[in-house]
Amino acid sequence: MVTASQLRPLGVTPPLGTYLGQVWHRREFAVENAVGELRSEHLDTALGNVWHLLNPVLLIVVYYVVFDLVLDASRGVDNFIGFLSVGIFTYQWATKAITGGARSIVANEGLIRSLQFPRALLPLSAVIKETVAFLPGVGVMLVVVLATGEGLTRSYLAAIPVFALQFLFCAGAALLAARASHHFRDTLNVLPFLFRLVFYGSGVLFAVDTRFPIFEQAWVQVLFLANPFYCIVSLWRDALMTSQPALHPGWLWASLTTWTVVLTVFGMLAFRAAEDTYGRG
Amino acid sequence: MAAADPTPDMPGPPVSTREGAAGELTLRATGLAVTYRVYEDRRPRLRDVVAARGARPSHREIEAVRGVDLAAHEGDAIGMIGHNGSGKSTLLRALAGLLPPTAGDVSAVEQPVLMGVSAALRPAASGRRNILLGGLALGLSRTEVIDRTPEVIAFTGLHDFIDLPVRTYSSGMRARLYFAISTMIRPRILLVDEALAVGDDEFRARSKDRVDELLADAGTVLLISHSRKTISTMCNRCIWMHEGAIRADGQPEAVLDQYLRHTRQQRR
Repeated sequence: MVTASQLRPLGVTPPLGTYLGQVWHRREFAVENAVGELRSEHLDTALGNVWHLLNPVLLIVVYYVVFDLVLDASRGVDNFIGFLSVGIFTYQWATKAITGGARSIVANEGLIRSLQFPRALLPLSAVIKETVAFLPGVGVMLVVVLATGEGLTRSYLAAIPVFALQFLFCAGAALLAARASHHFRDTLNVLPFLFRLVFYGSGVLFAVDTRFPIFEQAWVQVLFLANPFYCIVSLWRDALMTSQPALHPGWLWASLTTWTVVLTVFGMLAFRAAEDTYGRG
Repeated sequence: MAAADPTPDMPGPPVSTREGAAGELTLRATGLAVTYRVYEDRRPRLRDVVAARGARPSHREIEAVRGVDLAAHEGDAIGMIGHNGSGKSTLLRALAGLLPPTAGDVSAVEQPVLMGVSAALRPAASGRRNILLGGLALGLSRTEVIDRTPEVIAFTGLHDFIDLPVRTYSSGMRARLYFAISTMIRPRILLVDEALAVGDDEFRARSKDRVDELLADAGTVLLISHSRKTISTMCNRCIWMHEGAIRADGQPEAVLDQYLRHTRQQRR
């Protein structure tokens, strides 16, 4: 009467193919979770969801006042406000998505301990959340860029693959960061400083190519080209701003694509490898 | 730690009082152990630091479940009793495959569904949104969840409150919502963590009906409860957890009496 053959072990990570299939099957959960969190984020403020738009706009105003009007640091950049908008919006999307992903396992312990689902959905959901929050920013970015005299050209189409690459790049980085902060919560304390450092090293605020004579040297250029965030910001500007053509577009594309492929594959493998340990405090 | 003898001083093997119980095996745990690493909120003494060769001994290992063997069958409704901190909830989480065991393993015919009072869906989101999220996380498609939502809302009896944030609910209202979400997919194995305790009589009657449906459908239910009444009316078997191991396993009345005797002795 008692047959043990039909029992299957629980809490064992399924093979990679099955795992990815389960993630895909429950993708609606990741999206719904992301949208739900976005909606409830500013629920208790008077302006509500407008804050998702207002936050980066205010940030641009602050940086514009400080760096253009007070410090006059915009030397060499023709359209500084457009330059800032594209830089800040796209850079913030990346850092928020990766930070959110890093926090997703630690923050959702209750959910992990009550429901069985592939845990990769949590960092992915965090990336989707920031992507949805970024969409109105794209609108603001386009308005600013067009209003400040950039031409609407066919190069705008290049924004689509940049968007796709950046999304995948963030997803891979978020998976990796989620695993890292699962083992070492300290990661969450380090990330903001890391992103602040990269912020200054990615040419978000100033054009790294014109201000510094050191940029003439080949090894410095290689260093910047190896920085995926510099690639992201520069490619966005190359696509949306005729006044900001990228220096080495071919290398930028190659570098970002390599980073994206490596991080997506490695991030997913590394995250899944610890699947059965998430949730044990 | 050795696994407890399933029936130390029980008369005979566990006998089912419910018709159709003790069918095929649905859930089995062998040598299950769970050890938590808990961060201690106290300043380490110099002696501890020296003993650990300079490393701060900041965490302690807590053996919450130590070597549990358990087999549950179709139609089994198993009640779990035990003192606070005896490892009941941890065992239930491990049986659901949600808490990775330190040793031993768990197998089941189907992924068990766990419902607990602390189960955190999204407190800031409305009851309706939580139904959608819960259903999607359990593997239903959006249309399936939307089809079943009216039925789920009817079961919770939260008609007027379903669009309010869950954090504004009372604990009883939350229990209703979680119970309805957990049983939305008609699981073969349902694990209930004390969630029924906070419900009123009406909800208890509803949930008993739902549990009976699952059992009639060749399901298995495990529930933690401190209520003698809940266990004796709903269960055909009872497990007493003590210090992370099974102390007794058998017919509810007998195990409950044994537990009561032990509790009285300890008070003296």
